[in-house]
Amino acid sequence: MLISQLQHTGLEEKLASTSQDIWVLLPEITIVITIVLLIVFDLIFKKNKSIGLSVIAFVGLAYCFALTIQQWHEIEASKSLMSGLLDINRLSIFLKGGFIIGLSIALITAIRSDKRQEDFFKSSEILVMLFGLLLGASFMTMSSNLLMIYISIEVVSICSYILTGLTKGKKKAEAAIKYLIYGAVASAIMLYGMSWLYGFTGTLNLTDQSFASALNEIPQLPLSIACIMVMGGFLFKLGAFPLHIWSPDVYEATPTPIVAVFSVLPKLAALTIILKFVNLVNVPSIDWELWIGILAIASMTVGNFSALWQKDIKRMLAYSSIAHAGFLLVGILAFSSSGNQAMLFYGSIYLIMNFAAFFLVQTFERQTGSTSFESIKGLGIKIPFISSLILIVMISLTGLPPTAGFNSKLYIFSALWESYQTGGHSILIWVFVIGLLNTVIALFYYLKLPYLLFFKKPPQELQLDNKEITDGLLGTLFVLPLLLLFFRSDWLVGLMNSINFELWIP
Amino acid sequence: MVHLLSYIVFIPLIAAVLVLLTPRAYKHLYRVLTILGLGLTLILIIFAISGFDTAVQGAINSESNLQLVEKTEWFSISLGSMGKFSVDYFVGTDGLNIGMLLLAGIVLLIGAIASWNIKDKQKAYFGLYLLLSSSILGCFVALDFFLFYLFFEFMLLPMYFLIGIWGGPRKEYAALKFFLYTLVGSILILIVMIGLYNSVYDPVKTAIEAGYEANQVEQVQQLVQDGTIKSNQIVKSFNMIHMADADNYIPGSFLHKSSLAQIFGQPARWIAFLALLIGFAIKLPAVPFHTWLPDAHVEAPTPISVVLAGILLKVGGYGLIRTAFVMFPDSAYHYSWLIGFFGMFAIIYGALNALAQKDLKKLIAYSSVSHMGFVLMGLAAMTVEGISGAIYQMYSHGLISAMLFLIAGVIYDRTHDRMIENYGGLASKMPKYTVFVAIAFFASLGLPGFSGFIAELMVLIGSFKSSAVPAWMPIVATTGLVLAAGYYLWTMQRMFFGKFWVKDKNWVESLTDLNPREYLMLVPLVILIFAFGLYPSLLLDLINNSVESLADHLFQFRK
Repeated sequence: MLISQLQHTGLEEKLASTSQDIWVLLPEITIVITIVLLIVFDLIFKKNKSIGLSVIAFVGLAYCFALTIQQWHEIEASKSLMSGLLDINRLSIFLKGGFIIGLSIALITAIRSDKRQEDFFKSSEILVMLFGLLLGASFMTMSSNLLMIYISIEVVSICSYILTGLTKGKKKAEAAIKYLIYGAVASAIMLYGMSWLYGFTGTLNLTDQSFASALNEIPQLPLSIACIMVMGGFLFKLGAFPLHIWSPDVYEATPTPIVAVFSVLPKLAALTIILKFVNLVNVPSIDWELWIGILAIASMTVGNFSALWQKDIKRMLAYSSIAHAGFLLVGILAFSSSGNQAMLFYGSIYLIMNFAAFFLVQTFERQTGSTSFESIKGLGIKIPFISSLILIVMISLTGLPPTAGFNSKLYIFSALWESYQTGGHSILIWVFVIGLLNTVIALFYYLKLPYLLFFKKPPQELQLDNKEITDGLLGTLFVLPLLLLFFRSDWLVGLMNSINFELWIP
Repeated sequence: MVHLLSYIVFIPLIAAVLVLLTPRAYKHLYRVLTILGLGLTLILIIFAISGFDTAVQGAINSESNLQLVEKTEWFSISLGSMGKFSVDYFVGTDGLNIGMLLLAGIVLLIGAIASWNIKDKQKAYFGLYLLLSSSILGCFVALDFFLFYLFFEFMLLPMYFLIGIWGGPRKEYAALKFFLYTLVGSILILIVMIGLYNSVYDPVKTAIEAGYEANQVEQVQQLVQDGTIKSNQIVKSFNMIHMADADNYIPGSFLHKSSLAQIFGQPARWIAFLALLIGFAIKLPAVPFHTWLPDAHVEAPTPISVVLAGILLKVGGYGLIRTAFVMFPDSAYHYSWLIGFFGMFAIIYGALNALAQKDLKKLIAYSSVSHMGFVLMGLAAMTVEGISGAIYQMYSHGLISAMLFLIAGVIYDRTHDRMIENYGGLASKMPKYTVFVAIAFFASLGLPGFSGFIAELMVLIGSFKSSAVPAWMPIVATTGLVLAAGYYLWTMQRMFFGKFWVKDKNWVESLTDLNPREYLMLVPLVILIFAFGLYPSLLLDLINNSVESLADHLFQFRK
């Protein structure tokens, strides 16, 4: 009888299609299996676990990456999974691939980090949390349902809180509590906003036709309030103004490889959610261009000006990531497929730049035991090669040729200009001019690193370990794409051309 | 010779790589490699000029005007419904840049010889110097805006390190100030570049994309203007020559000639022109954007000052002609009074400042500001004489200011002091040096027979004749010449004439007359300054056709 009931409601079909969809989630399942293996391995073996754990982690990542590539070739159009909970397309697959590469670089950074290596691979906790974060970020790129968005953001957030608090130290405890409190409040507000949207439309599914049609009937004020609340949660994860205050403390207190992950994965995942949200909740009563334009200008300017005064490299990079969040929002602001493509290009380059930057900062940290600007004075003469690499990364973060950072700025602002030219909002020209002039402010603090490295004399004799060559080789591997993609940016853009952004533009 | 310009641009780069690869044990080879590399470059430049056909005539906005062209597609990116854009590796010469190329070749080689005494961190120094050389040369020959911008920006970084590491006491401040000021300028240029390439299409590539023959350019231009060729078939272009042709602007784009679009309440084309003007005026530098220059000059080591004054400033002037004037002739005419005024103001203001300086290098730096004012004034006149004068002034000032900074370097090398008041009657102690100083000073103040005279005369004649600037501007500017005579002769009198006296007794020993290496640098410059002063046609013949077609190009917009 039960079965016949199921047939009646079509549930059986849904179940059948859901079990089919499981296979599309194979990369995510791989991540879960890796997590389980890590925990089990940690429980079984008592000593010398670091090699086993790192092998499991890397094999898991490699297999996951292979599956993602396979998915890229299989899935061309957007595909709805799990009865509308998830929505997989090439954009999410591309980002998942990027996330896996990023996490691998972070793990390599961790391996290179001398004494902290024991913290990382001594037991499985940190690795499990990092993989959990990867899982959450992957689901963030795919979710098209408010509930799923909330759950995936929470997965990422909880893993982040634990990662911040996991290592010892008073500063860390403070940062973790700060992060947790801010995060919990942001999530609660976002959830409240989502409940409003659900109340208005009667559906949680953003891509649903009934959602779009119901939106048009909602009065402006309640809809705006709901959207502001929901966006609050997204902006918190993006680390954009005005919800950026947590990031400098967290960045300073957390071990460098984890910060590298924090600064990229949740950010780009949140960006795709914002992209989906603003394009699907696109009703005339909300002036998204104005709002996002203001957010972008504020993020860039506040991030850049705050970065000027920092005395710690990691704090400086935290503020720089706030500024970059502003630049990334410009891609959404253009509301065109070329804008979204430019945003993805910027995001990919940002991923490479940031992981490379943190890797190189880590090598200095290993030598000097500190990440303050003071500590790196005059190191450029002692370790010239790594210092030159960091110069290239800083030039790329500023956005000057001949690095891919320039191309990403060029494309994102070209898309903005195009939108303005075809009758866009007048805020766009302000974003255009202020955004580009922000580069000058950015140069001021990015240049501080090479300035201290090359122009200053080292204060006292410093004992250097002789691991420069490996660091140099790995660093070159991470920095080379930045130069290569300046000269041949069409390679990456060609890959992105097959991503259909039109889906999000009604 | 095929790829001649590529050789010219990339030989210094190859030399830089060689310097980096040479082990430290052979560090005496660094400077030899540098001089060899730049010497070879200069030979190739002279070879290029000897093959330069002065009879070639063509519109400033057509590729028929160019020689030694190399053009291959670098990359192109598809923008979906917005068509695609392509970036070319596109270099070539015409009258506007051939003189600059020669100047760059000469000054870079002399700068390399002046670097002979650099002892500190030689590998980095010569590597950076060669990188700088490569990007300067590239900047002069690049005709694709993307390529131009790449070279233009890439000059900043080597310069920043060259001033910041090998400079004087306040080197860090000066280096950062230089970098930030010029970066503001570059960003303004970048803003216009983005606007331009989104407005301009490549007719040849669009023809191919839309299924026409490559030679049906005019037909394709017509089809694009009336909208038959849709936006998804348009190939946007960074080509600076195409950007100069009003027919290559996409209809409806902001920078189209008949566009009514406004930015900040002003026509978009005017705003774009102003942004380019300010961007390059910072580099030139024009008052009030000049304050980085005295700092940079005072702190920079002698060879870097030579390169900075001799060539880097000219990149500003050249860029102004190549982009702002050629691409926005209508706006240039609209703003000609403003440019003329700033030119005149710089002439007077720079000269007055120079009068007040106590540091020899600062005096020369302010005299540079004053002389660069003539470039602006000549351009504002928009006549053949004015523009030729402006280019001639850039060329001549490149040689003279290089010599002036070398002279300042000679005295600084010996005593590590450049204060004018600390010396007196040097003529009796260093007679040969005094002769060269006198030549450089007289050349700079515009005495007939020297190249500076020709340039300034042409600028003044050009602007008197012009309807684009009011006649009182050149009249006021003429007083700048008197002031120049004032500060140079006064300096001459204070430092070299009268009884021998120096502030510090220990200096007496070290104040020896010129050595052979210094002759090697100064004598060729003196010969060149005389040669271009007595036979102006040496340069004018090269640039004449291009300048005439530029003047025609500008003339069509005059009321």
